[in-house]
Amino acid sequence: MSGLRARFLLPFVAVVAAVAAQAPAPAFAQSDPIAIIDRVDRMLRGDSSHGTMTMEVVTENWDRSMTMEVWSLGTDYSLVRVQAPRREAGTATLKAEDDIWNYLPKVDRSIKIPASMMGGSWMGSHFTNDDLVKESRLIDDYDIEIAFEGEADGVAVWDFLLTPKPEAPVVWGSIEYRIRQGDYMPLWTRFYDEDGELARTMEHSAFTEMDGRLLPAVMNMYPADKPGERTTMRYEDIEFDIDVEPSFFSLRNLQGGRGRRR
Amino acid sequence: MKESPWPRIGWRNLGRNRKRTALTAIGLGVGYFACVFVVGWSEGIMSELVENATSLVSGQIEIHDAEYRPDRSLYDTIGGREGADVEGLLRAIDADEAVVAAAPRVYAGGLVSSGEATSAGMFLGIDPAREVALTRFLDPLAAGALPVAGRYELVIGEEMGRQLSVGVGDELILVGSGADGSMANDLYTVAGIYRTGMVEFDASTVVMPIGDLQELVVLDADRIHEIAVATAEPDLARDAAQRLSGVLDVPARPIVVASWGELNPVLAEYVALAESFYWLIIVIVFAVAAFGIANTMLMATFERRREFAVMLALGSTPRAVVGIVLSEALAIGAVSLAGSAVFTFPLMVWLYNAPPSLEWLYGNVTLQGALLTPSLRVGYNVPAWTWASVGLLLTALLSALYPAARAARIPPADTLSGL
Repeated sequence: MSGLRARFLLPFVAVVAAVAAQAPAPAFAQSDPIAIIDRVDRMLRGDSSHGTMTMEVVTENWDRSMTMEVWSLGTDYSLVRVQAPRREAGTATLKAEDDIWNYLPKVDRSIKIPASMMGGSWMGSHFTNDDLVKESRLIDDYDIEIAFEGEADGVAVWDFLLTPKPEAPVVWGSIEYRIRQGDYMPLWTRFYDEDGELARTMEHSAFTEMDGRLLPAVMNMYPADKPGERTTMRYEDIEFDIDVEPSFFSLRNLQGGRGRRR
Repeated sequence: MKESPWPRIGWRNLGRNRKRTALTAIGLGVGYFACVFVVGWSEGIMSELVENATSLVSGQIEIHDAEYRPDRSLYDTIGGREGADVEGLLRAIDADEAVVAAAPRVYAGGLVSSGEATSAGMFLGIDPAREVALTRFLDPLAAGALPVAGRYELVIGEEMGRQLSVGVGDELILVGSGADGSMANDLYTVAGIYRTGMVEFDASTVVMPIGDLQELVVLDADRIHEIAVATAEPDLARDAAQRLSGVLDVPARPIVVASWGELNPVLAEYVALAESFYWLIIVIVFAVAAFGIANTMLMATFERRREFAVMLALGSTPRAVVGIVLSEALAIGAVSLAGSAVFTFPLMVWLYNAPPSLEWLYGNVTLQGALLTPSLRVGYNVPAWTWASVGLLLTALLSALYPAARAARIPPADTLSGL
């Protein structure tokens, strides 16, 4: 378990949850890819988290920015609630294990996203609902190998190649993932479709210490088929290992709007 | 000029072995019936497919922004961002001689939810008054009434109602993406239920007044995705589309005026393919029949070797013998054709006017996006049926050629001496 998921597929949860980034990197003598990715994942995710982030979506037809409050617990639970703009405030997404629910304050109803719509856009961004769910399965669904180990752009990095295991229910043909060796920070992730065409690129930047951990505070998602479009997630603040129970991630809380842990 | 005696002799010979004559004629007649029936049924299926493809929910002609198909983006409205003079376009379309109706449409995609149940949906915004003149699926409705603009009403397919367990009067939530990037969502009441029989369409398409959908997905009133046009007959669509293409003027962006043959080329090709299969059917059916006839005629001529030997011994030419045998075959053909036609054509007329249901055999089928209902509906195809008649007579003649040639070569002396 663990691994890539949070960080790049479920950005908010992922990064939100980060771990002790400052931990000195013990040399992985054998460069075991699973061990490295697992370590990175733990660093970034933490057991639980609570933070605020902004999401900026730029498309050919419109730009918009949202501020959201995010809670997470492990890889199974997360709750995202929109704070601004005012028109959308209160709109919330609950991920509880494999299910995703959206709360719509305008009609005061919660809707469970059906399986057929998991590939649809999440809140108008370039992330899909599937990204929220499948992130917890990357390590299970993909074989991981080190494709490159050495200097790139003057920085020591590992490049990992993830290929789907046979019969794994995944949408990507392969995934490339670069991690900086010095501080285990993820640099970018590239997603390829089944024909080997680049489908989207996720870049991490603004490595900042938050709540005592080094984190990539900014994540940019670029869809390959829509040049000029992007979704940017930026962590404004975050705290890790908060006191939150699975019961917090309930439909009642999804609709509650109070969003206070404890 | 003296009339040739062979046709009369051939005709009389039919009475010599009536059972055999009857069996041979029935064989040919059944083959003829099979050809006419299969061609007619296939014709009926094709007519229904084309009719349903072009008048059940689509028109015979569709007008879009040039970029709209195949991606069907919310933003590729006619005239683009600036929109278009929808009323002006509709007036220009209505003025065309072949056009009987035209209606504007807006499309969007999203989720349809009721209580616990949620499914993916396509939202279709229509002008109810214009739409019922264009297509059949909203008139009559299976239940309820057409939605009234501004009252947050909509009409759903029967299958969607079943899947979401909602009926007339129940609430539905629609969720989609607004053209401004906002999360479009609102609460609606089900005013009516329609049924096309196309399960996927009925399970996914939500129909609502065009203005209500424009409000939901934040599109201006002059921004529409499609104008659907009905012509008096499907065959008129191609020319009408060309005329409209020349008349309609949207300054901002190019538009495409496409007839059903262009919108659904696979269906158009399918219809053409079926036509070419008629020939194959006729050839196969009569090829099979030909061997049966050849066998019978061969037996018949073999039995009558002595008769032919006497004729030849008395001075008849081999050509005369061939003439007799072929005349006989032609006479059988004529009898079977007449007998079969008496039975076949009234049946076809009856099937055409009152097609029996085949629901016990199969349910509704959707083929190339067009609905096919389970009925034994036939269509008339006079050219193919004429060719089947010619095929029957030719079959009778061709299958008698070999027996006739054999009969003409009988050695008279040897045969009569019992050798």
